[in-house]
Amino acid sequence: MARDTGNLKLTNVTKVFGNGDDKVTAVDKFNLTIKPGEFVTLLGPSGCGKTTTLRMIAGFETPTEGDIALDGKSMKNLTPDKRPMGMVFQSYALFPHMSVFENVAYGLRVQRLSKSEIQTRVADVLAKISLSHLAQRAPNQLSGGQQQRVALARAMVVEPKVLLFDEPLSNLDAKLRAQMRVEIREIQQSLGITSVFVTHDQDEAMSLSDRIVVMRNAVVEQTGTPDEIYRKPNSVFVADFIGRSNFFKVDKIKSKSSGKAKIEVNGKRMEVPAHPKATSTSNPVLLVRPESISVKAAKPTKALGTVTNIVFYGNHVEYSIATKHGEITAIESDPVYDEIVQPGKGATFEFDSSRSWLIPSDGTVVHEE
Amino acid sequence: MAIRRQSAKLDLFTKLAIFVIVLILSVLILIPIGNVLYKSFQPGGIDVLRAVIENDYTRQIIMNTVWLGTSVGAIGTLVGFLLAYVQVRVNFKGKKLLHVLSLLPLVSPPFAFATAVIVLFGRSGIISNGIFDKQPMIYGYKGLVLVLATSYFPVAYMNLLGMLRSLDPAVDEAARSLGASKFKIFRTVTLPLLIPGIGASFLLLFVEAIADLANPLVIGGDYTVLASRAYIAISGEYNIPGGAAYSTILLIPALLVFIIQRYWSQKADVVTVTGKPSGQVDMIKTPHAKYSLLFLAWTIAAFVVLVYSMVIMGSFFKVLKVDYSLTLDNYRYIFSGVGNDAVFTTTMLALIATPIAGFFGMMLAWVIVRKIKRGGQALDFFGMLGLALPGTVLGIGYAFTFNSPIQILGITILPQLAGGGAILGGAVAIVMVYVIRSSPAGQRSGIANLQQIDPAIDEASASLGASGGRTFRKISLPLIRGAFLTGLMFAFARSMTTLSPIIFITTPDTPILTSLILAEADTVRYGYAFAFCTLLIAIVLVVMGLINLIVRKTQGTGYRPITVSAG
Repeated sequence: MARDTGNLKLTNVTKVFGNGDDKVTAVDKFNLTIKPGEFVTLLGPSGCGKTTTLRMIAGFETPTEGDIALDGKSMKNLTPDKRPMGMVFQSYALFPHMSVFENVAYGLRVQRLSKSEIQTRVADVLAKISLSHLAQRAPNQLSGGQQQRVALARAMVVEPKVLLFDEPLSNLDAKLRAQMRVEIREIQQSLGITSVFVTHDQDEAMSLSDRIVVMRNAVVEQTGTPDEIYRKPNSVFVADFIGRSNFFKVDKIKSKSSGKAKIEVNGKRMEVPAHPKATSTSNPVLLVRPESISVKAAKPTKALGTVTNIVFYGNHVEYSIATKHGEITAIESDPVYDEIVQPGKGATFEFDSSRSWLIPSDGTVVHEE
Repeated sequence: MAIRRQSAKLDLFTKLAIFVIVLILSVLILIPIGNVLYKSFQPGGIDVLRAVIENDYTRQIIMNTVWLGTSVGAIGTLVGFLLAYVQVRVNFKGKKLLHVLSLLPLVSPPFAFATAVIVLFGRSGIISNGIFDKQPMIYGYKGLVLVLATSYFPVAYMNLLGMLRSLDPAVDEAARSLGASKFKIFRTVTLPLLIPGIGASFLLLFVEAIADLANPLVIGGDYTVLASRAYIAISGEYNIPGGAAYSTILLIPALLVFIIQRYWSQKADVVTVTGKPSGQVDMIKTPHAKYSLLFLAWTIAAFVVLVYSMVIMGSFFKVLKVDYSLTLDNYRYIFSGVGNDAVFTTTMLALIATPIAGFFGMMLAWVIVRKIKRGGQALDFFGMLGLALPGTVLGIGYAFTFNSPIQILGITILPQLAGGGAILGGAVAIVMVYVIRSSPAGQRSGIANLQQIDPAIDEASASLGASGGRTFRKISLPLIRGAFLTGLMFAFARSMTTLSPIIFITTPDTPILTSLILAEADTVRYGYAFAFCTLLIAIVLVVMGLINLIVRKTQGTGYRPITVSAG
């Protein structure tokens, strides 16, 4: 149930810290329009400016340039308390001297709602996150996951137009994190609140978002749906940051048309989908995801590389293969154990060319994580 | 990534708070000090300043002051270090007792010690005459150093105790596993790590010593220092610009040391916050080292006890050194007439000033830590000035500034606040002095506490729509309540025992205990002085106990800060 309010627009938002020779540009000309009810994730390595962007939306930082508008109204001159936004913090930031109930009720008390209304609304939201039985507990008597839910409830209960999340899951263990991802997504969907989520965890970004904004060194590298970001990255950086990737050197570019190119890789001709800029740069590379590659044993004369290592996971097997392209990773699911190519053996591999993607190379050396 | 906090736009409450803080700091400290500087460049003041260069006598006073500060700083720090080291690194019975005795001098009126030492060791003193049968040179430099070092070593003790406790034992263990002997570890690891703390302690004691007025008056003899010289210039010679000039000269080393000390304590923080100790502290077990350390420590403690018992017992003797029969006459005297008034007035004024000082200190801390990016350092500096400036200088500044109404363009902005004929008998100025002298304690502990609280907690409150004022009242203040009340405790003790600024602005209408004690000690009526001192200590201890009780009551609710911090 998407609502009609919560349209967030960032125009040329720039943040420069320090002055004189000490200047550091944390965010450079950030542009983004978020539709009502949309879930957008800002993703990038630490120091890329994603948290600063979020804090500017919340009002904890003032943009050096540019404007942030909610439903057409500029937020620029509003202090954080005047903005209809709720925030969930990395450290949860629960008020340690108040009970769970009082924490959640805080924002409603600020709005001077009647006692009975506060009672009902807090009870409702606590039921929603299944913490009703812990209402009178102090925050430090809760587990990390419970604290996290209280923080979410506290931000939600005031029905903000925008929910902001600052790496809220980074203090939880892997299992709990996966569970909270599902919960956050469900709650956000049911309320239809516009949400901006900051993380450096690509799994979180992929599983939660309607759209992902990948940032790097203060600028937006790419904005797109999870599928676009994964399948059609703009750059080697994005491809490498999201998921695992192999980059093949291209021997020849035969022809190019819009969105497609005929190329030769490993002596094989193929037609591949291509980034518009890929064919205009001197040496584009071909992105192939590990799960798109299938491996077969081969005689040394025919082999494209040598298997250097295998890791058997039961449901899938992971190959490392030394090739002229560097080390290639291939993942084969549901493997037959006896057919796995053992380390030291020669191997060939193939992939469906329609599952690959030709991207411009900026010349940076690419490494696996 | 390093996120710079505090860059949001300031809300109305914060702007208002900053305005009020600047206004209060201006009236309570900047204008009076400015006045001292101004007056010292009037004719008369210029003469004194010129004499600094030309006159041997004036130069000698400055040398005396600096030498006294250096001696007290060195000896007091050494004593404080010894006691702290014994406390942390030696196992023995009576550790708690030694700790309490090491802190005891904090609650004494500054000249209780001087008076007691005179009675014990002075001209025909109990010990000097009765036991050694000779005239020791207790007046002058030696006596001053003894008394001041005893009065102020707890400051060094507290500083160094905290640092020693937070030293990571793993560092010692690492040195030991590399083959260093215990003494070598002490010399090459422990001591260098403590240097910032030792330096900071030395400087703190230096400032306290050169700023002290009461002890040089009582026990200084011919050893004249700047503080006592300024006092004599004003109250004996009625040479106002001269007094101002001596104060200005005193201001220079005090400010200089304050600035160095700030720089140093910032470095000391690096050592103090090393997280939880990761190993076992290596205790000193070698018998001769252990027992010589313990002997020294208990000797110092015994001296503190001796002096304290002298104060308390002295208040019950009929005529000291003559008639040792027990009597309540001294108390009968002090509770008749002016003494009665003084007890009431002093306690009342201190009780009025205490919450104001505590609240003001916390407000400063909150604005400095949470709200402003630029100027926070400056605000912190001016807030701490009340403690850093010599009380003599402050008192003289108050006398200059508030002894007449303050007028701008013929309109009275402030009525006469100090001196005879002032409104409320000059009580307002005294409360102002108490506030500015004690708010730094609250400010300091408030800053330390707030820095440990995740700023996201304040931000969470703001993002839920709470204004700055609401966040301060409902979130920040409750979270630093412990620091707040501790700040109050020290504020009260400090107010009750402060003398040097008060002496310049007290009036017959508002008799203050400390200045009465000085008068009694000055006229050699030690019995009365001791009775006042005992009473003063009792009041301070009772009020501190009450505040402590409140702290425990309010903290027993089970809600403690969670120590999850943003990564």
